[in-house]
Amino acid sequence: MQARRDLPRSRAKMSETIQEKIKTYRTAPFDARFPNTNQTRNCYQNYLDFHRCNKALSSKGQDVAPCDWYQRVYKSLCPTSWVGKWDEQIENGNFPGKI
Amino acid sequence: MSSMLKVVGKQLKNHPALIPLFIFIGGGATMSMMYLARLALKNPDVSWDRKNNPEPWNKLEHNQQYKLFAVNMDYTKLKKDRPDF
Repeated sequence: MQARRDLPRSRAKMSETIQEKIKTYRTAPFDARFPNTNQTRNCYQNYLDFHRCNKALSSKGQDVAPCDWYQRVYKSLCPTSWVGKWDEQIENGNFPGKI
Repeated sequence: MSSMLKVVGKQLKNHPALIPLFIFIGGGATMSMMYLARLALKNPDVSWDRKNNPEPWNKLEHNQQYKLFAVNMDYTKLKKDRPDF
């Protein structure tokens, strides 16, 4: 795992640990925000966070790789029909969530 | 309202065995009202002010416990594992 020398030290370390976590990813970890059985909101929040992360990091000009964590999590949690529907809505420009 | 209380007071004086009934019923009602208040005010899924507080569940810390009894889940050992952005 190469250290990213172009990033400031804290962000380089974070992107390293995130890359490691993505490499050893098995499934979505426990999220204290959603402790109950119904994980609908967990799925939706990670989907939103993935797109928000992409938007925020690319607008700052940083590497978008850490956002893959959110993509792995929502792909583990969300039904594929939902993901397909949301992706289509984003393409058409009528996705109802705030990104 | 006060006449109702007077009637109840007289009944209690004549039948003091009814007092534990009031205690238990009152305690049960208080506990349910307190739980409803906790749900209304503290539940991270509830947002009273959608403009200023749109996603209140995001305000939870990564190891903060909302549940009253969390079986088989040691919240103190959780680490933050989401990237910041």
